Amino acid sequence: MAEQISITVKVNGMEHTAAVEPRRSLVDFLRHDLGLVGTHVGCEHGVCGACTVMLDGRTVRSCLLFAAQTDGAEIITIEGIATDEALHPLQLAFQRHHALQCGFCTPGMILAALELLRENADPSEAEIRVGLSGNLCMCTGYVNIVRAVRAAASTGKAK
Amino acid sequence: MKPAPFNLLRPKNVEEALALLQSHRDEAKVLAGGQSLVPLMNFRLAQPHNLIDLNGVVGLNEIRVDERSLTLGAMVRQRDVERSPAIAERLPILREAIEQVAHPAIRNRGTVGGSLVHADPAAELPLLAIALDATFQLRSARGSRSVAARDFYQGYLSTDIAPDELLVEIVFHLPPPGAGWCFTEIARRHGDFAIVAVAVLLDFGRDRSVNFARVALGGVGPAPLRVAAAEEILLGGRPGAELYRNAGAAAAQAVEPPADIHASSGYRRQLTGVLVRRALATAEGRVKGQA
Amino acid sequence: MSSAKKWVGQALERAEDVRLMTRGGHFIDDLTLPGVAHAAYVRSPHARARIRHIDVRRALEHPGVYAVITGEDVAQSTRPQRGRVPLPNSPRVYAVAYQQVRYVGEPVVGIAAVDRATAEDAAELVQVEYDPLPPVLDPEEALKPDAPSVFEEIGSNVLWHDTFPYGDVEGAFAAADTVVNERVTIHRYASTPLETFGVMAQYEPATDSFTIWGHTQQPAQDLHVVAAAFGVSPAQIRLIIPPMGGSFGNKVRPLFIIAAALLARKAKRPVKWIEDRRESLLALGHAADGIMEMSAAVKADGTVLAIKFRNIENEGAGIDFAGRHNLLMLSNIANCYRFRAISYEGYSVVTNLCPVVANRGIGKPFMCFAVERMMDAVARALKLDRAEIRYRNFIQPDQFPYDTPGGQTYDSGDYPEMLRRALAAVDYEKLKREQAEGRQSGRLLGIGIATAVEPGGSNLSYGMLISGPTQLLSGQGEAARVRLETDGTARVFTGGLDSGQGHATALAQIVADELGLDVKQIRVATTFDSASHPYVMTSGVYSNKFHGHDTVAAIGAARKVREKLLKRAAALLEANPDDLVLGDGRVSVRGAPQKALTIAQVAARAYWSLADEQPDGEPGLEALYYYSNPLAKHPDEKKRVRVQLGFASAAHVAVVDIDPETFEIKVLRYVVVHDCGRQINPGIVEGQVHGAAAHGIAAALLEEFIYDENGQLLTTSFMDYLKPTAADLPNIEGDRLETPSPLTLLGTKGVGEGGAVVAPAAIASAVEDALAPLGIHIAALPIVPSRLFEVAAAGGKRYENARR
Repeated sequence: MAEQISITVKVNGMEHTAAVEPRRSLVDFLRHDLGLVGTHVGCEHGVCGACTVMLDGRTVRSCLLFAAQTDGAEIITIEGIATDEALHPLQLAFQRHHALQCGFCTPGMILAALELLRENADPSEAEIRVGLSGNLCMCTGYVNIVRAVRAAASTGKAK
Repeated sequence: MKPAPFNLLRPKNVEEALALLQSHRDEAKVLAGGQSLVPLMNFRLAQPHNLIDLNGVVGLNEIRVDERSLTLGAMVRQRDVERSPAIAERLPILREAIEQVAHPAIRNRGTVGGSLVHADPAAELPLLAIALDATFQLRSARGSRSVAARDFYQGYLSTDIAPDELLVEIVFHLPPPGAGWCFTEIARRHGDFAIVAVAVLLDFGRDRSVNFARVALGGVGPAPLRVAAAEEILLGGRPGAELYRNAGAAAAQAVEPPADIHASSGYRRQLTGVLVRRALATAEGRVKGQA
Repeated sequence: MSSAKKWVGQALERAEDVRLMTRGGHFIDDLTLPGVAHAAYVRSPHARARIRHIDVRRALEHPGVYAVITGEDVAQSTRPQRGRVPLPNSPRVYAVAYQQVRYVGEPVVGIAAVDRATAEDAAELVQVEYDPLPPVLDPEEALKPDAPSVFEEIGSNVLWHDTFPYGDVEGAFAAADTVVNERVTIHRYASTPLETFGVMAQYEPATDSFTIWGHTQQPAQDLHVVAAAFGVSPAQIRLIIPPMGGSFGNKVRPLFIIAAALLARKAKRPVKWIEDRRESLLALGHAADGIMEMSAAVKADGTVLAIKFRNIENEGAGIDFAGRHNLLMLSNIANCYRFRAISYEGYSVVTNLCPVVANRGIGKPFMCFAVERMMDAVARALKLDRAEIRYRNFIQPDQFPYDTPGGQTYDSGDYPEMLRRALAAVDYEKLKREQAEGRQSGRLLGIGIATAVEPGGSNLSYGMLISGPTQLLSGQGEAARVRLETDGTARVFTGGLDSGQGHATALAQIVADELGLDVKQIRVATTFDSASHPYVMTSGVYSNKFHGHDTVAAIGAARKVREKLLKRAAALLEANPDDLVLGDGRVSVRGAPQKALTIAQVAARAYWSLADEQPDGEPGLEALYYYSNPLAKHPDEKKRVRVQLGFASAAHVAVVDIDPETFEIKVLRYVVVHDCGRQINPGIVEGQVHGAAAHGIAAALLEEFIYDENGQLLTTSFMDYLKPTAADLPNIEGDRLETPSPLTLLGTKGVGEGGAVVAPAAIASAVEDALAPLGIHIAALPIVPSRLFEVAAAGGKRYENARR
């Protein structure tokens, strides 16, 4: 077995130090070592986007990163999006517009939408569709997801 | 879908990386953005014993533009290319190409060098390297050398890079300042590798005849290629639908495309002709300094 | 007593969402147990081969490996799988391959180890020697007498074959002015839930019992399949089904549960297996591919008198759904039309492909595709507009309830109005002019039309057409338990499951109305547990059954609780129960609103104050209700059976633009006008309509499992199996009619599967219309630009699928 590597990462503002096998993916580390099971595994080859998290402010596929590569990084997962007091405007919009069904894609979808709105505060329908094209949803046909992102954008607070 | 065990080696600078490459050679794989390699490892189609992770290496992230060239460090993220105002201004075809690479989260992590060395025959960056006659800067513990794109790509997923060599940067030679451009591709699904991808550049002389032309294709062979026959037709020609149709037809004739589950060889040939013609028309519209 | 609907009918936000959007934690892979081992499988690289020898020694010696199972273990420790519908002549199928492999990806050796990566390491150390045999992949080939035999013990590759003559078919053909013939095929695809299949099993030797967390859509049936495999009582199996990240008819593989349970018993520790995506695409299950031949007897005015169908369904190498695609197709065989007579001949054929599952709509997407293709073909033959041919054949609004020749009873609908609205939404006449003008300059604009019934709630008695009248499984129903807690909160438990449809929210709305509570006071359990939830053998989440079964069971239980509540309140208020008014969380005496108690006050006494006089003779406020749908009857002597019990309907209109050079297909507009009767939660309904239509559009344009001539699946990743992204699908526009069903308690009809049934037909119709200048007829799916180009380049007139 390969030598374990010690890492320190900040996840949703909390610092964690752990020893990981080099092949441990970031998503398996988050889910099974840190217990942050809000991030999901859908394909393990970078197509579906269910495992999307923010790494140092950018969305990444956590199935295509090894935890050992993230030493010193700052990670935001779906667990870090809402505050104790309130849901994030994107989450509110997703609920309001029935933008989720089984909810398995939703954490990744919300993080992708968050990045999109940070770069483009007022995206058109077409821009939303392209911006979210890295995240597969098998339930909704995306119609209500697009609506929810438009609605969240119109609040001007979805950042 | 978990990778086979491996050692993760984390050099801090290029020299360390080169030393590791030299000592491990065939036993090692270089890990850049990991957007192609890690899926292969998860499927266990690649099982490197040692993985040399370049993500901690300093000095490979630079974007430099001067009069004649654009130089990208191998570890420049594709997303940074997309967001660079200098690139948008000086080499807009690169921006147009990069926007067609997969999806935002993939581009956030994927690197210029990773895509160039992975050498997928339908990938955008290798195609652009061919179109712009880019120069690959390779280093090893033995020394360094420059390789022209046309020599770098040797066949299906195969390049001129030696097991102990590292791509450190790529130099794109800028086309004439006013040249028109177009990068276009067709895929079954948004963000997928292209069935056929086309990069063209076009410029006119004072008499409005074509004095600069590049036509390059991806997805139609084991590696991206420039189509001399099409470029020859264009050079000296009068801009217009007929010229572009002829150039497209020449390109379609020049290729022997592969077939796969998504497209037949004949379909790829058809797309080649159509996309070259349409790309040239688009490029014409983007030539600056026209009357 | 108030019977006004306060909550039902509102597009309420879903109770499920906050957890799903914040920290989740209830999906199978989020659950764990101390000491849990993780499983991986060695899978067959051959489509058909004899297993000569399996050497697992190196795997067993690998550090971290707890247990290994092979076909020998499985054959010794378990009985062959019992099909959901028992076949008279059933092949012997085990949880992992025994002596032979029958499809690429079939599990051959199971390994439990300390973690998944280690289990996969060990899987690479297993050596299996195979004697490869020639496979049979095509169902027509499989019917030939000299075809390789998939299951030698049953003597042929035909699992089931039957014919169904309904009405005077020959008379209709004798009266016809024209006969139109058609042959269409459908390919293999699947809705591929984003969460793959999962199971975690624990064995308790002291009681010889299993606790299993896992996936299924038919918990009671699968529990019994697992119990039968181990030869234990159903009471020795506790099956817990957590909410699923989508299912769509795919998570119906009890063999996977049996394998994990056996591994757990052998490893002497809990074992978890989470299918990875490659395994899922290879082996979870596909919609059956099939070949349909049809002849229609048509009058000169466009009236279609009768259609003869002959269908061959490729079931792959499994028995779970033997015959079901064929039989469920009898539910929509008449679609929206007044056919006088119908004959149907169906074959269910096994081959060396992945076993089939009940993918969204099971069989009905193909039947709808076939009938709608035929209606377009009739329109073309008679030079009639495709809308007109439908108007002339529609069942009319005043004909409901309408009995079809095969024994379906359509409850309600207004098909002409539905189509009129869908066409108006795209301005059909204007579009036709635009199309005609565009054709002058080579533009390929197409308008597709499909109208369809969307059956809901299946009558499992249809299985008697396979296994005979002695089959136990019949009818359709559901069970529910409602319990009013001491604070006036109500809890609801059913035999239904959660795979994303918002059933907990919908049931809360229903129960809140019955008990006069606020919807937030209703808690619906979303994790099914066979130890505490009531169930009947038809329980689960499938076949659009929720609208008329889960709902009724919950209402039945809630009404019993209401009656108990009112009796108890009447005693406390010294009033007659009939004089009480229930609402807004209170029970009051009619005409004397000051004489009132809160529901919480009454409920508290029911549990705390056992010394009270008990109005029902028992304390507590809890009730159980088992519902069976009275419409679900056995097949009659003419083999007529109400295969399905309610009939929603929809009209889909697609507008496509095809690039005349690249043959790329762009869907410009997609309109769905649907009618599912009364809606419990229109927000949820709308989402189902979108999602189902998206599945159908993707099946028509992108998704396809492709095998090579050796039976190797070439589409084993999402790089090659093309799920649509947001950028690949059109906006789905919609409108609805509401003709309440007279046959369900709430006037509801089913909704979840519908769009997936209709959309493939609408897309085919649109593409064919666009290609009219080239005269290319669409007889297969998916419609792939490259293949279209090849047909056009060869001057072909039919788009057919090269069989694999």
